Amino acid sequence: MKPTKSLFPALALSSAILLTATLAMAASATRYLHVKVTNPTSHELVRVNVPLILAEKIIPAINHGELRDGKIHIGHMNADEVNVRAILDALKTAPEGEFVTVQNAGDNVRVAKEHGQVVVHVLDKDSKENVDVTVPWDVVEALVSNTADDQLNVEAAIKALQNVGDTTLVRVSGSDENVRVWIDSRNTDSE
Amino acid sequence: MIFLAKLGIGVLGTALVGGAALSSEGFIYVNVQEKHPGGTHVHVFVPAALVPTALHFVPRHNFADSAHDMRDALPIIDAAIPALNECPDGVLVEVKDPGEHVLVTKRGGSIIVDVNDPDETVHVSVPLIAAQSAIHQIAEARLMD
Repeated sequence: MKPTKSLFPALALSSAILLTATLAMAASATRYLHVKVTNPTSHELVRVNVPLILAEKIIPAINHGELRDGKIHIGHMNADEVNVRAILDALKTAPEGEFVTVQNAGDNVRVAKEHGQVVVHVLDKDSKENVDVTVPWDVVEALVSNTADDQLNVEAAIKALQNVGDTTLVRVSGSDENVRVWIDSRNTDSE
Repeated sequence: MIFLAKLGIGVLGTALVGGAALSSEGFIYVNVQEKHPGGTHVHVFVPAALVPTALHFVPRHNFADSAHDMRDALPIIDAAIPALNECPDGVLVEVKDPGEHVLVTKRGGSIIVDVNDPDETVHVSVPLIAAQSAIHQIAEARLMD
């Protein structure tokens, strides 16, 4: 019994060091925004792997067109008397669940708040195209933080993306093309 | 004999220091191979440290248009290159279709572009820091006149 007892502090210390090192490595891992476009018919492939830290540094440096100081100017965020920011504020306090469901001959649309994420699903029945958009709520909030009514804060959204777990943000699957946009810590686009 | 030995050490030392200085910023490597029979093969391997010196010998008027465009992009380049330098190595962009393959990767302190199409293969490797200083030099070309 005695040797086991004497080993315990050393084991606890090495476990603590191992845990700290693992957490430090996890915290410092570079996060990537991946885009992959494939065309099964023409066998075309486009893949882009952008380190988020790179995007975070570049976006504030761009002062061109509608993108200035890390914020993008959106022409009609109050389109047709619908205040998008007010809707987002309402969504923030709303309980999780389905908000919009549209089913007609042409397409099905579903907007919901699930597991702290805004989820949009569109099915175009004619082209058999499926679009799934999942945006973590922190990113939605970052997009409208410190902005005027007609702006989106891209820089803040990218910073917020650094802190979300591995997730698929956009997936489009159709007969012609498949598109996937996702976040993880791998520097390749392996799924 | 001692004089010759001292001279040899001096020459060797100068060559070593010069070589170290030239290779301090890495090397620019360009390899173009045309695929048709008898096609040209261009193979360039240049110390990146030579680029700023070489640019001094290029007449300024040749930079006129590009200098203006590059001055506008300087803040983005100055933000992007150091950030890219700190990023881990990996593939940044890949475009592939049945006839062509384009690959842009970051490896070490360099950005590497590989193109493989039916006519030729192209491989370009440019150290990021050298690219940044060259772009600055071209952008400031008109200002120095």
